[in-house]
Amino acid sequence: MSTSTAESTDPATADTRTPAWQIVTLREITVKLRDKSFIVSTLITLALIIASIVVTGLLAERTTESSVAVVNNGRAQILVDAANQLAKEQEQKIILTVRPFDSGEVAAEALRAKSVDLVLMGTASGYDLTGLNDVPAEIEKLLSDAASTQALKLNAEKLGVTVASLEDGSAINTIFLEGSQERNSMALVMGLVFSMLFYMSALIFGMPIANSVVEEKQNRVVEILATAIPIRQLLAGKILGNMALAMGQLCLFVGIGLLALSLTPTEVPFLSLVFATSGWFLAFFMTGFLILAAVYAALGSMAARVEDLQQSTGPVIILLVAALFTGVYAKGSVLVIASYIPVISSVAMPIRLLASDVPLWEPIVSLLIAVAAAWAMVLLGERIYRRAIMQTGGALSWRKALKLED
Amino acid sequence: MLEVKNLTRRFGDRTVLHDVSFSVPVGGMTGFVGANGAGKTTTMRIIMGVLKAHAGEVFFNGSPITAESRARFGYMPEERGLYPKQQVLDQLQYLGQLHGMSRLDARAEALNLLDRFGIAERTKDKLESLSLGNQQRVQVAASLMHHPTALILDEPFSGLDPLAVDSMTKLLAERAATGVPILFSSHQLDLIDQLCDHLVVLAEGKIVAAGSADELRARATSTHVLITPPDAGWLREEPGVSVLDVAGPRAVIEFADEATGQSVLRSAIARGAVTEFAPQRPSLAAIYREVIR
Repeated sequence: MSTSTAESTDPATADTRTPAWQIVTLREITVKLRDKSFIVSTLITLALIIASIVVTGLLAERTTESSVAVVNNGRAQILVDAANQLAKEQEQKIILTVRPFDSGEVAAEALRAKSVDLVLMGTASGYDLTGLNDVPAEIEKLLSDAASTQALKLNAEKLGVTVASLEDGSAINTIFLEGSQERNSMALVMGLVFSMLFYMSALIFGMPIANSVVEEKQNRVVEILATAIPIRQLLAGKILGNMALAMGQLCLFVGIGLLALSLTPTEVPFLSLVFATSGWFLAFFMTGFLILAAVYAALGSMAARVEDLQQSTGPVIILLVAALFTGVYAKGSVLVIASYIPVISSVAMPIRLLASDVPLWEPIVSLLIAVAAAWAMVLLGERIYRRAIMQTGGALSWRKALKLED
Repeated sequence: MLEVKNLTRRFGDRTVLHDVSFSVPVGGMTGFVGANGAGKTTTMRIIMGVLKAHAGEVFFNGSPITAESRARFGYMPEERGLYPKQQVLDQLQYLGQLHGMSRLDARAEALNLLDRFGIAERTKDKLESLSLGNQQRVQVAASLMHHPTALILDEPFSGLDPLAVDSMTKLLAERAATGVPILFSSHQLDLIDQLCDHLVVLAEGKIVAAGSADELRARATSTHVLITPPDAGWLREEPGVSVLDVAGPRAVIEFADEATGQSVLRSAIARGAVTEFAPQRPSLAAIYREVIR
């Protein structure tokens, strides 16, 4: 350091003008917002989120109506009525309509002609339920439940006992030690959503950091920029710009998704839990993204050409896929450990929060670990970036990059 | 004034700059010449702080250069570099803002410069859609945006047509006249001859000549042309005269000193007619070739 004695003097903040990092941040954002493909892909994703929520809501609301051909009128007719009654009691969206037929043959023909969906016929031992090539499982279950209830009642009357006395000791009560059936399936779905969002955003906004760093290095704009502003501010602006974009897009997706969920007519269980966890997810995402951004910036500065990145960003992608798979598959103690590993914790901790009641200190400690890791990674990334960005010649390895002199 | 003192730089075991010292005075343009690989770009990168020197210092207006004073310099790197996919006006404005200009000032100055370079109608185009020559003009404009206090231009004229060279040299001369020291490297020796007030010649990482154009010309061995019909052959016999070339009445000669020149002229007139006796002003190109040899 012999040609400069005042590297620390910061020309951009020496007076009241806009700090350089803000100008860089703003440029990163405006360039991206003017990119048509970015706007279009964001809108498409938004449309997909809304559509999937609306479609799921509609499916849940839809009532399936099936027409049942009834032969041998009396018993089958009564069973269908009982099944409809049972469906109403269980809040199942199934309605069976009765079409009386005189003989099995005529009913079978109607089934083949698809003018009826099912044929129900009383037999000596019970009932025959005939479908063309499929009998919907929920209808079969409904009818058989109704039939056994009916039979139970009739047989009990014959024996002169009550139904309750016959059923005594047969009830199975399902208990979950963690969460509940509904909560676990909600956690599974939301975990998948969080994992995908993290993976997508990290790729969509992380990779451009590496690309734009190597682009500036490759065409030497960085030499002009570095003489105009401290290189640290250039890096800060780049990372902050992309992070703001990523957070903005994520907030948009999560916000619109939650809004659509709360507007659907069906009651969504655990909506407030999902809201709270989304907040945690955004905080974890921010720290995870910061780590990735620092790594991407370092990789960009070490590359000589954009093509070099394909190879060098491989391990980052593996880390992202690991986070993705943790979200989908990890269980038990693996998930607990994963929820403390920075980057992976961005997905794993929110999933734990969704699936079970985690004491408050756990996400706080995990977040602090992630923040510390992000801080360390940003310092390391900045160190490599500052030195490697001015190198001309081939791509650098991590070892070489760390050994570079200023 | 920009001064470079005792710069030394190595790349691995190879020393590319040996104790390089020269100055770039205000009020004129300083040409920086040397063969490929002589160390011109390395020197310029060190001046701009892009590269560190292993020894030596750079001074600006008498004190060691700081990042703050460098930030006010205009720099055009060897490999042209701006954002290929961004609009011309937008990126000039961005660079101006990074140099501390307000948005509006930067925009106005960018339009002004693009207009002077005759590419005002291309402001909304992406840089990559411009011809190489026009991209070069944008690059020069980028270095001039913030009214720099010094200009370091690596090969600013390469790839430009004569008209573009004219408009650019006019603009640079204007800036030089306002007291901005300008250092530019070039391979075009005729251009150097025409533009430079000062010259720095670098060969294999060492300064082989540096100074004002007049000084260098004076220092260079001066030759004279003497035309004395019918035949100039007798000059070969004159003491203190070395004859470089004789063809009939025309001779190209070198004198040991000024006095010898005057006595030769007297004897030529005594022998007959003298139709021409003129010192040959060495071109900077010739000086360059001589010192490089």
